[in-house]
Amino acid sequence: MQRIKKIGIGLLALLVIGGWNHFAQAAPLDDLIAGAKKEGVIEFYGPSTLGPEGAQAIASAFNKKYGLNIKLNFTPSGNMTRDTAKIIGLSASGQTPEWDIMVVTDAHHGSLWLRKLHRPFDYASVGIAKERVEYDNGTVSVANQFALPAYNTKLLPAKDVPKKWEDLLDPKWKGKLGVINSTHHWGRLAAGPWGEEKTIDFIKKLSAQKPLLTRAGEMAQRLILGEVLVSATLQDSQLHESKESGAPLAFADQVSPVISPEYHVGVIKNAPHPNVGHLFVIFMASAEVQPVWLKYTGHTSAFVPGTDAYKFAQGKQVVYMKQDQAEKVDKVSRQIGKILGFD
Amino acid sequence: MKAEPRYESALGTWEGFARFKPQGMTLFATALSAFLLVMIGLPVAMVVLMSLRTGFPGESVPFTLENFAEVYLTPRTYEILLNTVFFAVSSVSVTLLIAVPLVWILMRTDIPFKKTIYVLLTIGILIPVFLRTIAWILLLSPRIGLLNKWLQELFALSSPPFNLYSLTGMAFVQGVSFVPGAFFMLAASYRSMDPSLEEAAYTSGVGKLRTFLRINIPITWPAIAAVMVYLFMTAIAVFEVPAIIGLPSRILVLSSLIFTSTTPSTGLPNYGIAGAYGGIMLVLGLVLAFLYVRLVKQGKKYTVITGRGYRPRELALGRWKWPALGFVFFYLSIEVFIPFVVLLWASLLPYLQLPSAEALSSLTLKHYIEMPNHVGARPFINTLILMFAVPTVTMILSVLVSWVVIRTQVSFRGFLDTLAFIPHAVPGILMAVGLAYLGLAYRDFFPLYGTILIIVVAHTINWIAYGTRTTNSVMIQVHRELEEAGRVSGASAPRVLGKIVLPLIAAGVMNSWIWIGMLSYREVTMSLTLMTRSNVVISTVVWQFWGSGWVPQVAALGVILIIFAVVVVGTVRFALSRIGEIGSAT
Repeated sequence: MQRIKKIGIGLLALLVIGGWNHFAQAAPLDDLIAGAKKEGVIEFYGPSTLGPEGAQAIASAFNKKYGLNIKLNFTPSGNMTRDTAKIIGLSASGQTPEWDIMVVTDAHHGSLWLRKLHRPFDYASVGIAKERVEYDNGTVSVANQFALPAYNTKLLPAKDVPKKWEDLLDPKWKGKLGVINSTHHWGRLAAGPWGEEKTIDFIKKLSAQKPLLTRAGEMAQRLILGEVLVSATLQDSQLHESKESGAPLAFADQVSPVISPEYHVGVIKNAPHPNVGHLFVIFMASAEVQPVWLKYTGHTSAFVPGTDAYKFAQGKQVVYMKQDQAEKVDKVSRQIGKILGFD
Repeated sequence: MKAEPRYESALGTWEGFARFKPQGMTLFATALSAFLLVMIGLPVAMVVLMSLRTGFPGESVPFTLENFAEVYLTPRTYEILLNTVFFAVSSVSVTLLIAVPLVWILMRTDIPFKKTIYVLLTIGILIPVFLRTIAWILLLSPRIGLLNKWLQELFALSSPPFNLYSLTGMAFVQGVSFVPGAFFMLAASYRSMDPSLEEAAYTSGVGKLRTFLRINIPITWPAIAAVMVYLFMTAIAVFEVPAIIGLPSRILVLSSLIFTSTTPSTGLPNYGIAGAYGGIMLVLGLVLAFLYVRLVKQGKKYTVITGRGYRPRELALGRWKWPALGFVFFYLSIEVFIPFVVLLWASLLPYLQLPSAEALSSLTLKHYIEMPNHVGARPFINTLILMFAVPTVTMILSVLVSWVVIRTQVSFRGFLDTLAFIPHAVPGILMAVGLAYLGLAYRDFFPLYGTILIIVVAHTINWIAYGTRTTNSVMIQVHRELEEAGRVSGASAPRVLGKIVLPLIAAGVMNSWIWIGMLSYREVTMSLTLMTRSNVVISTVVWQFWGSGWVPQVAALGVILIIFAVVVVGTVRFALSRIGEIGSAT
């Protein structure tokens, strides 16, 4: 009898907690929905690989889920680093940010976080797993990218494909390499397995190879054309895009460690439409978004078993970035940008 | 008893003005000068101001010379300055090597298909420079350039003969793109050149080439020199070619350095450094502008253009007709045909490929069909706003300035004329950076940052020098009898301007209106520097696409843009010619 009583009390407690939880989740969500209805628009910055169609597909699903009619204005990223810097500059000048939410890598969000440029929200309170919330409630993880050296399968014989990072420093590549402006790729190695000294030394040697310097999208085109034989790093976004169009690009996938920038979504401080922004971030963390994101960008989360990213990461040494590495990644990435000659 | 004041204009006495209140005209001229002074002076002042500050625009920081120390005590700055001068000199050389023979062939000889060639030259102007640059990469890149590959195969060369990724390569692309502008600037002096010396040379049995080198070039030398200085000033300021070809291979010139300082690829914007670099550009620009004005004046002093009613005899090319046509065709190929064909080719492919059977089998119209999904209406609306607002505002201001300068005796009219010319000495990128700083740092006072209006302001400032040069020259040519008649009949000064002067100069004003509209449509440097999400225009969309690696989409949009521009210009020109015919018939 005593035992039944205890179970009864336990169940009651669970019901109360569950109910409270549901209420607690519903209350801020209802407020956000009501606020979003008034705001009516969202300025959305995201990877160019998502494309306008992908962005609108997400917007449709979002509107359907919450019974809203929010207009989404999509800005495809041409240069995430430059646009993050732009937000920092605008904020310092007291200007309103151009976008409500930005889907950029964790390194870019790290740069924003260091300057307190997020508008935080208690995302866990609406049921988002704590592991996916980063930067002091500023961002939520959406999906993982992978970055490795990339090449044109039609132009580069298999025997020449780099097998380790140091292969890129072989004099035979002089004038034939490309480096993209995502210098945070190297910043992650500096903050992680390589350390700062080894990374800077590597970059100096890489710079001596006189690589062509461009943004990622442009580099993919130059690889496709054969103007560059190997890009020191490229994201799988570009590989996905080229696969869609039939272009022959591939990763040098024997190279290790693999760098994994993570796409995060967060509302920018002083965003003109914060309610739609937060609601959209919550939606971006939901399961409904994953297939759309996969379809258009080719990305999934490496932490969800069964996804492409999860499978790709198996058995590989993957470098993920942690919040406490943000400062180092931010600093070293700028230093690397200067060494390579981007700025 | 006081005598009635008489007002003498630069070209004579106008009794009508005697009745016009001097205070009214002076007040109007003062207000106009003050307006222009603020409009032109503020961005320039901002460049100076930001060079004396560190941090972000709007941050309260003390004045410092830190930026100047960083810029001027670094050897790299002087390397870049040398690069800039080499690039500008080489670009101008390429332009003149093509433009001078071209203008001689078209203006002084009986070469066939003249009208068609003129049309194609105009189309050349309409192809945005950055699209042409992309096409040239596909032709002259050391690794993939089609021309390089063909020449290597043809002559069994071990290495590609051309390297586009060099200062010379950049200068070649830039120089070719300057040719149509130089052609139209030189055309007038060749068209109206007194042919007596030339004819004397032929009569004395001097050959055509020798006559061209010893007579035509020396006679038109002041005009050529003025064009040289003008193009040199432009070459220092251009950005597209240095950005697309130079930046990836770390070849920096001043304009690309200023751009990357304010919109860096990996760091944070540094307006102070941009301002310090801008100082060099400002000084260079002002010196060159001074030189340009002197050359133009000198040109007028030694002019051989007379008021005699003659029509220069066209030189019969005879057997030289085909080589001359070949030269023109070569130029049109590199300026119009090849870039257009390359763009068309790229636009029809799923991804960028060199010509091959496989590529041919994959041709698709996908990128044209999907274009509305990629580009919303906003960039088109913004571009149309620019194409209409910029020439309208510029020409209104230009007419008013010229009216004061040419038709009145206001004591400071020379200052007003100089003021309107100053923007020509300030590179567009610097003006745009100054305006961006103004908008960011003083947003309460100048709330235009992020709007299309800030680009309208930038473009208007940039082309007001061109606008006033045009309106000055057309207003000088209009005799003032009708204006005097209007004034004697009791019409007010504004009414005389609106009802008499404007209709008389309408054709010249409309031509400039179209030209400025087209320049505004294809301009990318200032639009890019001032770009935010809400003031995106077509040229910046193309730039973004290129950065995102959407080359086939860039090419498709480029083809659409060229066709759009040709249709718009053709229609407006046709409409104007009809109006002209009707006007002349009545």
